[in-house]
Amino acid sequence: MTALLRYHTALLLRSQRWLSPLILYAAFLAVGVQGGQPVLDSLGYSAAALLPVAAWLVRICVTGEPPAARAVVFAATGPARAHLAALLTALGAAAVLGAAATLVVTLISDPAATGHRAHVPPLQAGVAGLLAALACALLGTAVGALTNRPLLRSPGRAVPTMLLAALLSVVVSGSPAQAAVSGLVTGSRSGRVPVPLLPLAAAALLTAAAFALAAALAGRRSP
Amino acid sequence: MAPMQRDLRLTRVGRRYGLRGPWVLRGVDLTVTPGTLTRVEGANGTGKSTLLRLLAGIDAPTEGRVTGRPRTAYVPERFPAALPFTASGYLTHLGTVHGLSRRTAARAAGEWLERFGASAYAGTPLAQLSKGSSQKVAVAQALLAEPELLVLDEAWTGLDTGARAELERAVAERTSAGGAVVFVDHDPRRLAGAPDATYTVADAALDRRTEKASSAVGPHTVVSVQGPPGGQLPADVTRAVTSAEEITPGGYRLTVPASRSDVVLRALLTARPPWHVVRVHPDDLTPDLGGRS
Repeated sequence: MTALLRYHTALLLRSQRWLSPLILYAAFLAVGVQGGQPVLDSLGYSAAALLPVAAWLVRICVTGEPPAARAVVFAATGPARAHLAALLTALGAAAVLGAAATLVVTLISDPAATGHRAHVPPLQAGVAGLLAALACALLGTAVGALTNRPLLRSPGRAVPTMLLAALLSVVVSGSPAQAAVSGLVTGSRSGRVPVPLLPLAAAALLTAAAFALAAALAGRRSP
Repeated sequence: MAPMQRDLRLTRVGRRYGLRGPWVLRGVDLTVTPGTLTRVEGANGTGKSTLLRLLAGIDAPTEGRVTGRPRTAYVPERFPAALPFTASGYLTHLGTVHGLSRRTAARAAGEWLERFGASAYAGTPLAQLSKGSSQKVAVAQALLAEPELLVLDEAWTGLDTGARAELERAVAERTSAGGAVVFVDHDPRRLAGAPDATYTVADAALDRRTEKASSAVGPHTVVSVQGPPGGQLPADVTRAVTSAEEITPGGYRLTVPASRSDVVLRALLTARPPWHVVRVHPDDLTPDLGGRS
């Protein structure tokens, strides 16, 4: 698995296809986050914006190889492991992106609740933001895993479905990502820092199920 | 160089694409035994490639079972690798994916590129390689980890003459080391006389060709050897040769498929006690040894 992860990471980094989602994420943050704003609000926004970016990273990782190259790797390790490695690589990239954004946002934001009613400890806020970002990275990769190959193979269907699913995951109540983000926004009003462990656990479970389904189908729906 | 431990077995295997697609293959029973060479034939579009993908484990069967999966490597017909690696960088990655350490993989990558006459392209990005050179990378990828099962889907297509002969030799090495090789090729002379079994795919089913393909087809090498008086030829040699005539006591004239001559010579020279190789020359009847198009 280590070799597969290294192969997919090298493929992602060297292909430079990571650049587009990174620019999209930077643009999201540039629009929604400014220095001196309440820290929890900004962290909630940056976590929410990570979700579609994570889904896009999955699309990049599972479509990065030409079919012949994918077949060669599938033969060596089995389709399930090879596909899982691609999904985990995307998850890792999204987590790194989320952690970096959380750090930057925590540093430049105002450690205070909305309207400066209360002080918000930056370290606690950063931890809460990191947990929320991880929940969004997980759920975003789950969306990506379920809306790309092997489940949806034509780009015409995969891309709109992926975007719609990512949007719904952020806004529909009941979604772990929505719970984590709204927890931060509510916390910003009250000045109490939430610990979004429950949404994180729910997101991890959903993602594990989505990855398992996608990996199990990898050899059944090819080429 | 681990030989395959047990048979790869396909039991009543069927494959179709989509929920209601037509069956590409159905009711296929096939056993691939360690140390054997298997040829799969059939017209275009009959499901040869699908069968090979099932054997290589790239596709899972829609129905039926596949048991005894060995360490597998696969070579596709075309390898248009638009991947952001150099040839040696890609091969090193694939070597580790096949289970080698990074250092072993890098060394094996260099060796196999050299064997196929592609050393000059080791540092070339894959995207800039010609079709033939890409195919050499695809072949090297499959051979560098000495797989227990090697699946070749028209792997010879696009290779130059030297590389084609080298691949035939590499196939003979794999089978003599206890690995299994399954291949499809449009050239009926490819590895002629060497396959232990030939199957034909037709009407979504698999038929074993009962008659043993005549070993007399294809280029042969004649090896004259002298062993100890009354010595028996090593078993590896007896298996690989088309015919062995005892001319003098302990002196044999062996007719060997050209692709297996290296394997036979290695077996003779490493036997205890070793055999003396008197003469190696092309078979007079097939003077086109090594120069086939």
